[in-house]
Amino acid sequence: MQPLRSPELLPPARRDAGATGDGGVGGDSPPRGDGGGFRRDCGGGGDGRGGGSEGGGGATGAGDAGGDSPSRGDGAGFRRDGGGGGDGSGGRAEGGGGGLPAEAYAACLAALPGMGPARLMAVLALDDPAAAWARVGSGRGWGERQVREALGGGADRLVERWQRAARDISPAAMWQRVLDAGVGVATLGSPAYPSALADDVEPPAILFHLGSPEVITGPRVAIVGTRRCTATGTSVALELGRDLSRAGVAVVSGLATGIDAAAHRGALTAGAAPPIGVAGSGLDVVYPRGQAALWQAVVDTGVLLSETPLGIRPERWRFPARNRIIAALADLVVVIESHRRGGSLHTVDEADRRGVDVLAVPGSVRNPAAAGTNGLLAEGRAPVTCADDVLMALGLGSAGRHPPADRRPRPAPDDQALLDVLGWQAATLDQLLLRSERDLGAMTMSLHQLIQAGWVVQHGGWYERVAEGGS
Amino acid sequence: MHASVLSATLLGVEGRPVRVEVHASSGLPGFTVVGLPDTTCREARDRVRAALLSSGLRWPTQRVTVNLAPSGLRKAGAGLDLAMAMGLLVVTEQVPPTAVHERAFLGEVGLDGSLRSVPGALPLIDSLHEPEVVVPSACAVEAGLVGRHRVRAVPTLSALVGALTDRCPWPELPPAPEPPPPPPVADLADVRGQPAARFALEVAAAGGHHLLLVGPPGAGKTMLARRLAGVLPDLSPAQALEATCIHSAAGLPLPPGGLLRRPPFRAPHHGASAVSLVGGGSAAMQPGEVSLAHRGLLFLDELGEFDPRVLDHLRQPLEDGVIRVSRAAAKVTFPARFLLVAAMNPCPCGEGGPAGGCRCSVAARQRYARRLSGPLVDRFDLRVEVGRPDIADLLRSVTGEPSRAVAARVAEARLRAAARGVHANATLPSWRLDDDAPLDAVATRVLELALGAGRLSGRGLGGVRRVARTVADLAGATGPLIGEHVSTALALRAEPIFLAGRAA
Repeated sequence: MQPLRSPELLPPARRDAGATGDGGVGGDSPPRGDGGGFRRDCGGGGDGRGGGSEGGGGATGAGDAGGDSPSRGDGAGFRRDGGGGGDGSGGRAEGGGGGLPAEAYAACLAALPGMGPARLMAVLALDDPAAAWARVGSGRGWGERQVREALGGGADRLVERWQRAARDISPAAMWQRVLDAGVGVATLGSPAYPSALADDVEPPAILFHLGSPEVITGPRVAIVGTRRCTATGTSVALELGRDLSRAGVAVVSGLATGIDAAAHRGALTAGAAPPIGVAGSGLDVVYPRGQAALWQAVVDTGVLLSETPLGIRPERWRFPARNRIIAALADLVVVIESHRRGGSLHTVDEADRRGVDVLAVPGSVRNPAAAGTNGLLAEGRAPVTCADDVLMALGLGSAGRHPPADRRPRPAPDDQALLDVLGWQAATLDQLLLRSERDLGAMTMSLHQLIQAGWVVQHGGWYERVAEGGS
Repeated sequence: MHASVLSATLLGVEGRPVRVEVHASSGLPGFTVVGLPDTTCREARDRVRAALLSSGLRWPTQRVTVNLAPSGLRKAGAGLDLAMAMGLLVVTEQVPPTAVHERAFLGEVGLDGSLRSVPGALPLIDSLHEPEVVVPSACAVEAGLVGRHRVRAVPTLSALVGALTDRCPWPELPPAPEPPPPPPVADLADVRGQPAARFALEVAAAGGHHLLLVGPPGAGKTMLARRLAGVLPDLSPAQALEATCIHSAAGLPLPPGGLLRRPPFRAPHHGASAVSLVGGGSAAMQPGEVSLAHRGLLFLDELGEFDPRVLDHLRQPLEDGVIRVSRAAAKVTFPARFLLVAAMNPCPCGEGGPAGGCRCSVAARQRYARRLSGPLVDRFDLRVEVGRPDIADLLRSVTGEPSRAVAARVAEARLRAAARGVHANATLPSWRLDDDAPLDAVATRVLELALGAGRLSGRGLGGVRRVARTVADLAGATGPLIGEHVSTALALRAEPIFLAGRAA
């Protein structure tokens, strides 16, 4: 057993890693922050809840980790600050007896390059996390056949890469970072692990969360769709998210721009059932950056999940992996707009593997952003036109809610005529002029009135009809 | 022996008179040029020597010093050759000293004694106040445009010496060529459908409002923009002279009549460098594309592909109508009052529209949006989304109105602007808007609502009122602007889709 070191003796760069600005990129970089205040602000929420699980895991394997771990800060004992942010700095670790919890090692393992969910499962199936980390660090003990099979092709090179990357990752620093961020961690099998995911065919071996994981209980519907959506798509997503939330159904989505974000915004406006967000990046790396406010709102009212360790930027392969978690969490998947080969269809595949029903919102045949969803309908999936369709499919029946009366003022006859020629496709001034056969001045007056009354939205030089007023 | 001959050199697009002083004295034979000549100018010695000898004239066997005064001004090019040759002929007493009195000489000499044209003959001669100028025959038409001088055009040095020594008469001036019929330009009649884009073009031409066309490839943006030149009114004589001076200084070929009567059309490629666009250069201060488009049309196709830093150089000329180029050697002001027409795709793949056919990543779209700075976009008072015409629309629509009819309305509208004392409505100063572009109650309400809803920014308000004024002028409306004028101006000012979300 090596001598214990208190966190104050850690190199400052390590200890403060969570608070520093932008650092390197990539899985094997030292822990880094995104410079946003997001992480720390929400520290309080995660604290108390996460504590139990880590306490339980902390007992396992901590002893031998202290002996073999090649990384710095090894053997330092950390205990979760059970007080939950009483000191205001968001859960600082305290030096003390005992080793790091198993979650710390699991998080380090997950941060290794090329460590996808399947490999992580395979590695953790061999040993407990601490022993697995020691195995990675030593680079030995990968000879057995079943291990090599689990790692897949190129195992030798992978083991070498891991060994190299492991030198730069310190479980103590990783754990400190988790504590600083106020993020809760649960490994598969630990009591804090959401039961909704535990029985999945491909459950994440480790799950980070911000917010309240206990909200993952009631009925849940995933609303997914393309980032390159139309205004119609956004408004349908908003509406559906809002109405489902009002009906007590939690909205699960991926926090991407476009449909995902709109669905969550809708759910947030209803303020009823809590939103569940699943991120592809580490929970302290807001991606896309523009969604920081939405992330925060989801954390405040619901829960944000990710299987990606802190500080890891979203790599391409992490999004399909995230989609499987979305599908696993959902009782039903609704696709609002998807291109012919969009990422949303990957969520659909994952839902199919799990026997989760998929519904799709029909779109115009001229709308390329609806090609994927229309394809789903052609395959025989049920269509969704309003929240009631989803509630029926969930077996909840109609919530007995009638849509609020359209409060928009009725358009004048001329304006109505223009609305009719506009149809449900975005159109330019040119197209509207040709279709309405009116002169530009009168037509733009009508457009102005329609926009003002909420019947039409302008998107750049395009005009698009809005389905329903007010939200 | 000493002689002093008047000539001129170019600084940017303006001529500066230069006195060429030639001094010959006894001493070791030699020839020195002082007074900040550039390399071409310094090489005049060899050209002039060969020309004199080829023309059967004597080269001095004395020590010759040529000073180009004012000596602090940098002299560029070969235009001073002829003046140096004349100075030499005077000091060697081959022509009488009176031959260079009240005469200025401009021209490059060839080794065979012929005289060659110089770039910028028009501004050079414009800067001279001598009653008579002697120029190479090739410059005769340009020299005649100024109209203040008696122009002597000579083909060769020996013909010039013959005339100056009264051995033979001055060569006849070539007859002024008839102004040719305007060259055929692409006609608006070719454009089918796209009524809004056509109207925006008409408004741009009538009011001088800068126009941004956004649309997918194949929507006809370039086709439309090229037809704008055809509906612009002819240049006034003063404007024509300004534009011709710049083209002359840049050494560009002038039309057969010598004068640019039609607004110039410049369409630089998107690989253009900052210097090629705004002017400058290390050796000689050359006008850039913005100045070549002075009083005409600058068309930037594929605006999104231009270097953003290059584009930001456009802000000063768009604001002030001039570009001040400052270099260690010289500071030059180039006129640059042009109508800017730009065309671009909504995103790198070109399909970005609300229909969602775009194949670009979010990051690529954001990068693309950053290529255009907000201040530059703000300078476009007309921003029109040009969609690909529906096939049905294309078939249904009849042939468009020809450029001639549009040009007539544009000319009419320009007259109304001229009555307000401005060249075009785009240059109406803000403090005049309340008098020249008053709003009726409905128009005020439309603007209030648009401002309140965040569809229009305070910054865009002046632009909308100016465009509305032009819309009203085109419709022949007098009196306050009505709702339709303002709503049209608002609709023609849509924020480009890749920037949507910002108030226009």
